[in-house]
Amino acid sequence: MAEGQDKTDLSVRVPDNERSGTSVDRLDLAASATTAPPAISPSLNTATSVTAVNLGQVESARTRSGLIHADDNSLRPVATHVVPNVSHPVDAIPLIEEEMILPNPLVKYEYRPMEDGQGSEAPEPHHQSQQVIYINAPERNHSEINITCTSKYNFLTFLPKFLFEQFRKYANIFFLFISLIQQIPNVSPTGRYTTAFPLLLILMVSALKEIIEDFKRHRADDEINNRKAHVHRGDKWVTVKWVDVVAGDLVKICNGGFFPADLILLSSSEPQAMCYVETSNLDGETNLKLRQGHRVTKDLLRGEELASLRGMVECEAPNRHLYEFVGNIHLEGQSAVPLGPNQLLLRGAMLRNTGWVFGIVVYTGLHTKLMLNSTSTPLKRSNVEKLTNTQILLLFVLLVVLSLVCAVANSVWSGRHAHNDWYLFFDVEAESNFGLTLLTFIILYNNLIPISLQVTLEVVKFIQAIFINWDLDMYYAPTDTAAMARTSNLNEELGQIEYIFSDKTGTLTQNIMDFRKCSIAGICYGNNEESKDAFNDPTMMYNLHSQHVTADTIREFMVLLAVCHTVVPEIHHDTGEIVYLSSSPDEAALVQAARQLGFVFTTRTPETVEIEVFGKKEVYEILNVIEFSSDRKRMSVVVRCPDGKIKLYVKGADSVVYERLEETQLYSDITLQHLEEFASLGLRTLCIAKVDIPEDVYEEWKHTYYKASTSIHDREKKIEEAAELIERNLVLLGATAIEDKLQDGVPETILKLSMADIKLWVLTGDKQETAINIGYSCQLLTQNMELIILNERSLDETREALVKRKADFGDALGKVNDVGLIIDGEALRHALSCDCRKDFLDIALSCKSVICCRVSPLQKAEIVDLVKNAQKAITLAIGDGANDVGMIQAAHVGVGISGLEGLQAAHSSDYAIGQFRFLQKLLLVHGAWSYSRLSKLILYSFYKNICLYVIEFWFQIVNGFSGQILFERWSISLYNVIFTVAPPLAMGLFDRFCSAETMMKNPALYKDSQKGRLFNVKVFWVWIGNSIIHSILLFWMPMLMLTQDVAFSSGLVGDYLFLGNFVYTYVVVTVCLKAGLETNAWTWLTHLAIWGSIVSWFLFLVVYSNVYPLVRLSPEMVGMDRYMLGCWLFWLGLLLIPSACLLRDFSWKVFKGTYFKSTRQRVQEVELAKKESVINGSPRKKSSSKNHGLDKPSQSKQRCSGSGLPRSECNMHAYTEPPRLHGTSHSHSSHVHKGCNHAPSPEIPHGYAFSQEEFGAVPQAEYIRAYDTNKDKPEGL
Amino acid sequence: MATNGNGDISQDSVEEKPKSRKPKDTKFKQQKLPAWQPILTANTVLPALFAIGIAFIPLGVALLVTSNNIKELVYDYTHCNSSTTSGTCAEFFQNTSQTGETCTCVVTLTLDEDFTGSVYMYYGLTNFYQNHRRYVRSRDDNQLHGDVISYSDLNDDCDPYKTVSDNGTTMGIAPCGAIANSLFNDTFALVYQGSPNEAVGLLNTGIAWVSDKNVKFGNPSDWQKSTYTKPPNWKIPVWNLSLTEESNNGYKNEDLIVWMRTSALPTFRKLYRRINHNGTTFSNGLPKGDYQVTISYHYPVTAFEGTKSIILTTTSWLGGKNPFLGIAYLVVGSLCIVLGVVFLVIHLKWGKRHQETELELFKAPQYEVDPLVQVVTLHDRAM
Repeated sequence: MAEGQDKTDLSVRVPDNERSGTSVDRLDLAASATTAPPAISPSLNTATSVTAVNLGQVESARTRSGLIHADDNSLRPVATHVVPNVSHPVDAIPLIEEEMILPNPLVKYEYRPMEDGQGSEAPEPHHQSQQVIYINAPERNHSEINITCTSKYNFLTFLPKFLFEQFRKYANIFFLFISLIQQIPNVSPTGRYTTAFPLLLILMVSALKEIIEDFKRHRADDEINNRKAHVHRGDKWVTVKWVDVVAGDLVKICNGGFFPADLILLSSSEPQAMCYVETSNLDGETNLKLRQGHRVTKDLLRGEELASLRGMVECEAPNRHLYEFVGNIHLEGQSAVPLGPNQLLLRGAMLRNTGWVFGIVVYTGLHTKLMLNSTSTPLKRSNVEKLTNTQILLLFVLLVVLSLVCAVANSVWSGRHAHNDWYLFFDVEAESNFGLTLLTFIILYNNLIPISLQVTLEVVKFIQAIFINWDLDMYYAPTDTAAMARTSNLNEELGQIEYIFSDKTGTLTQNIMDFRKCSIAGICYGNNEESKDAFNDPTMMYNLHSQHVTADTIREFMVLLAVCHTVVPEIHHDTGEIVYLSSSPDEAALVQAARQLGFVFTTRTPETVEIEVFGKKEVYEILNVIEFSSDRKRMSVVVRCPDGKIKLYVKGADSVVYERLEETQLYSDITLQHLEEFASLGLRTLCIAKVDIPEDVYEEWKHTYYKASTSIHDREKKIEEAAELIERNLVLLGATAIEDKLQDGVPETILKLSMADIKLWVLTGDKQETAINIGYSCQLLTQNMELIILNERSLDETREALVKRKADFGDALGKVNDVGLIIDGEALRHALSCDCRKDFLDIALSCKSVICCRVSPLQKAEIVDLVKNAQKAITLAIGDGANDVGMIQAAHVGVGISGLEGLQAAHSSDYAIGQFRFLQKLLLVHGAWSYSRLSKLILYSFYKNICLYVIEFWFQIVNGFSGQILFERWSISLYNVIFTVAPPLAMGLFDRFCSAETMMKNPALYKDSQKGRLFNVKVFWVWIGNSIIHSILLFWMPMLMLTQDVAFSSGLVGDYLFLGNFVYTYVVVTVCLKAGLETNAWTWLTHLAIWGSIVSWFLFLVVYSNVYPLVRLSPEMVGMDRYMLGCWLFWLGLLLIPSACLLRDFSWKVFKGTYFKSTRQRVQEVELAKKESVINGSPRKKSSSKNHGLDKPSQSKQRCSGSGLPRSECNMHAYTEPPRLHGTSHSHSSHVHKGCNHAPSPEIPHGYAFSQEEFGAVPQAEYIRAYDTNKDKPEGL
Repeated sequence: MATNGNGDISQDSVEEKPKSRKPKDTKFKQQKLPAWQPILTANTVLPALFAIGIAFIPLGVALLVTSNNIKELVYDYTHCNSSTTSGTCAEFFQNTSQTGETCTCVVTLTLDEDFTGSVYMYYGLTNFYQNHRRYVRSRDDNQLHGDVISYSDLNDDCDPYKTVSDNGTTMGIAPCGAIANSLFNDTFALVYQGSPNEAVGLLNTGIAWVSDKNVKFGNPSDWQKSTYTKPPNWKIPVWNLSLTEESNNGYKNEDLIVWMRTSALPTFRKLYRRINHNGTTFSNGLPKGDYQVTISYHYPVTAFEGTKSIILTTTSWLGGKNPFLGIAYLVVGSLCIVLGVVFLVIHLKWGKRHQETELELFKAPQYEVDPLVQVVTLHDRAM
């Protein structure tokens, strides 16, 4: 098969480094191969074949990549034009076509796992739908208004939209239907408006709620739309609102600013129009990305130049592909030049490490890629709500059945009585229509479905949401962010979470790298205590200055940190402070640390690096930079030291560095132990090594390297080979440990959540090493845990590996094992394909922890969907960036981390919190509370309605199934609106079975709500059964009491309504007391609600009985107050009947509370006991202080303290099992041997992780050559 | 003209941030309102259960005694022998089906004991569905209130007793509706068979609810006699119900008012007359002995298999004779005692064991010792 053959051919052709390279590369190649014409591609390993393949790729994927577009037009990749004028002493910039097949690493996102093996989607005919934007002529451009609109309504649309929404709910349709049939004369037993009125009231409350919520959305939108942007209009800079930015505008964005729309980068404060963007919002990657303006625009550095700029930009029609862009820019008087994704700055990204940029707005508002990627927030319904709806449907069936039974019974009864009961005038009037009778009964029983439930729920949830917003424990002071419930629909869902899918960057971590520890010449430095300064160990300074035996090594180490990197320093004009600009946060942290320790990196020129060692300037000439790549796992520089010696400095993964060490090393073992220790703390480690290079060796190598770097094909491989020649016989200096700073309290939160049986999966766009690292530091992975790493590159391999793994599990499959699963995005793509899906899920669910790395936003959503659907579990997704939006929307509950600038995730989330740790309170307290409150509320609402309305049925038995009601019509209408509305509200808002603190301390309590023990079909029908028993007692007891009618000593008799009001009063009292019985915590508001409701009925009775004839309402109530309240029977019944009803409930509760004590009851009792015993003994608090980040759990945490002496005991004597990463990322299907306690070998990287953009717009080596920080940057005015 | 981006933006953002979004620390907002948390376990509820039981049982006994002390006599006269025609009155109406005719029965009631205190006379009907929906609503309360309304404005629910057409002229019915039309129209006269025979004085007022008589029912200023007529089953128009007493005439007629209060059950009784105890003979109630009742038998009940009865009864503060409440109190009270005993046993037998295992839950906290447990442990030790 041609396609298969293509693949093989390609894999031969692909250089070795590529084969083991990132998933992305291969993916792209494979994809292009599938679309390449088979006639061209099969020939092997020649330059022509490469070109041919490239052309094939170009042909097929022209529309996908700006890079290729560029190639197509000019046959020169954009990258080759980057720095034509800067001289390159050694590294000439290779101008070769092969560059072109270096894929954009970001292209991976376009591959949808669902289209497995299908390659890219069909090309779109862009040439037909392109867009032309005239520069500096906004009036000529058609621009989508640059507005963010999340609100649902405006003045005009409110009413129709609201009504439409409301009457989509079954319940409301039902009640509307009831209101309508009540208008048919002689059908309604309860009058005409008794349903319409409550319905109207309820709709009004809903409307009020909608208005308040929408008002908030309007305000949030306004906040974004009114952000300020600097736009060049006419010939001056003006500040306009974002909403006023139009296509063709020239805008200026300053450092740290967000792009208000999608822009074409023209120029920047940096050389060669380079700029850094942070896209973690969009794709979740930690490192910054380089973007570069086109050379024709790079010199537009001043406002005047912009003002005179004329021309136009052609670009493709807006599409949702984040990493694709095709366009041309025609400047007046110049020929058109192509634009690609490297020139595109996307809305949602942030400008970083760059003073300012100028850009032309191309896509605005809904046409921005960000917006095109955001789908409308799906309407989420909670599990409880769904269950409730099902039960409502069942109740509706019950209602219809009951009505049918009654209607039939009515016919039978009428048939029997029609000709005899002369007083009922059947002979005069036609026998009643069966259909109408049925309607009568449906009206009669309609409130079996509680009309007020919907609105009570809405109100309660709304206020519960406000309680969430009000929670001080979830307020994050540093960013002044309180928790924010953006929807109130899902409060109870928070109590049922079984799986949490978490993003890493910005969610678990703060996206701050801190230099924490280092090991230099076998001595471990680093403080344990939390301190502001990340690294603080006076011992090192002491050793350095006191001519300690390792002093030279320390010095060398620090110099290396200050020299061997691609960081660019920027001196702040006002303060003179140096700011380090780097695409890699790790490198920035290292350079920063070096500065703190007295080795200040001050200046970079294209050829040199200047550092100040304790104030003394030293200049290092950078001879070569051998870039970092994820295959090499190291980066090195060749420098000429101030003393003229040539040295190679390397930093990289221990596995690669150790391989290249000289035979005899003083510190290799001890350093390895340190590395292990660092790794066990979850630190990201790098090995630091150097080698002195004799001049002659370097001269020779230089040529080899130059050749390699200018070679036409296999350049990557050749460079790597060249590097191998010099990167050997290294001398190990030590190791660094960087903390990818976790947010506060992350490990504790994860532990708490796991105690609550919540499984946490980490889904990150970041690299595997980084992800594993974080897994350790946040306790998701522990040292004793087996790791399964799946890095398979093809479907077959993946399938094979999955099957094998599954077999390994054996009986343990399906149970939660102490195993961590780490899967790579590429392998995941295969694992999620149809035939592997099940196996993958089986394995994943058998693991305690799951980490998916390098996953695309789409895959994140897919994983969530998979678990959601296959597992029928309630899922929660938490993230902070736009790349998490998909999963946030896919999960049952989406939580966004808010507070920092990027609010994309927060905007599409259901709940926004400031910190990951707030999840504890949100779930364990608010979730569990909301769930138990709402469960009670719902059950109770059904209970109270059924209790009252089934009585109507009992009454039918004695009135010939005529549909007569026992109660006065408005009394029953107000039942749900006044008399019994407060107790459920109080229950839903104020009930709690134990305090928030106790809930937090005993995560086990969460299981009640998680497993849905408080509200399920069984519980529901038990409550219904109970309410039916109550209704029997509540009807038949008063009836028997009044059976002989004479209720007064004066001999007077009552009537049907007299009995009805007895019953009604008893119902109200019973139902309110039942609410009390179900309430665990009586606040004064609860008291008010319960006693107030009872009193309200009595008040109503008194008032209502006296309004006639003043108000022509309800003549049948006249005198009821006087006669009822003056009747001894009534009072005796009031004492007896509610207690008789509740005796069963009460005793059962007592019995359960004593005999089958549930966890929550025990906790509750202990809590109360504690309250009482506070006087007896003051509680000792032990280790409950907040522990931050890393010194959390490890037994080895105390060992490496800064106590002063060289410590070789700084090792792991208590170290039981090392974190075993079986197989590196190279290995296919790595194997796990449980309990295998072999000595750590250098092949296994210890905590190695490094964030660096690879294959970016500008190679790092070139990038640093572009800088001369001695020169002033343009102001951009 | 130009603005320096950096500075301006940061200033802007400072200005735009008006106040802290920090939530307020109030007990209400932080959901820390003090609360009473009752814990229902066997030992805590025992006193309550026993107290209820101990209160209810004597109360039940008292109620039962009260009810039993009430004297009541029920006489079913459905099939009474007619003194004017042959056979029973029931047959008379069945055979002739002349609703307008009168049949008289004379029956003798025997009181086995003295009925001391106030005695009331009721008529009781069975199998009469006064609570049937089409019956209950078949009335016009405005009309009964005494509003002057044209017959076309009468409540449609009164149909078919809203209007009658007679020779082309339509007349409204006063009072309209099925309830009024089916007004119970048997009358009773009670004579004590003593020495000498003495007619028992029967009061036809004070038998309806005061509120009904004063508020709900009233006579119109104008009877509109030209457009209104009597209900079909009546013999006399409403404005002639009591020609002697104006206050008991028309819609204010208490017999009508009593009838208009429709009963809850198909078996019901309605107050017919109060015994006049102002005389000498009956000042202490009705002495035991025979009483002759002369019944004007008009009301047909056998058609729907109903019965009619005369009831003489005394009352207590609880009203009529009904042992139900007393029994119910006894039952509930006994249940409480039984439950109390059960819980006592549970408490003695298992209460302790559960207290010991209560702390299991808090064992082996993985990383943090719950201070609660410590407190409890301390507490226990102290004890």
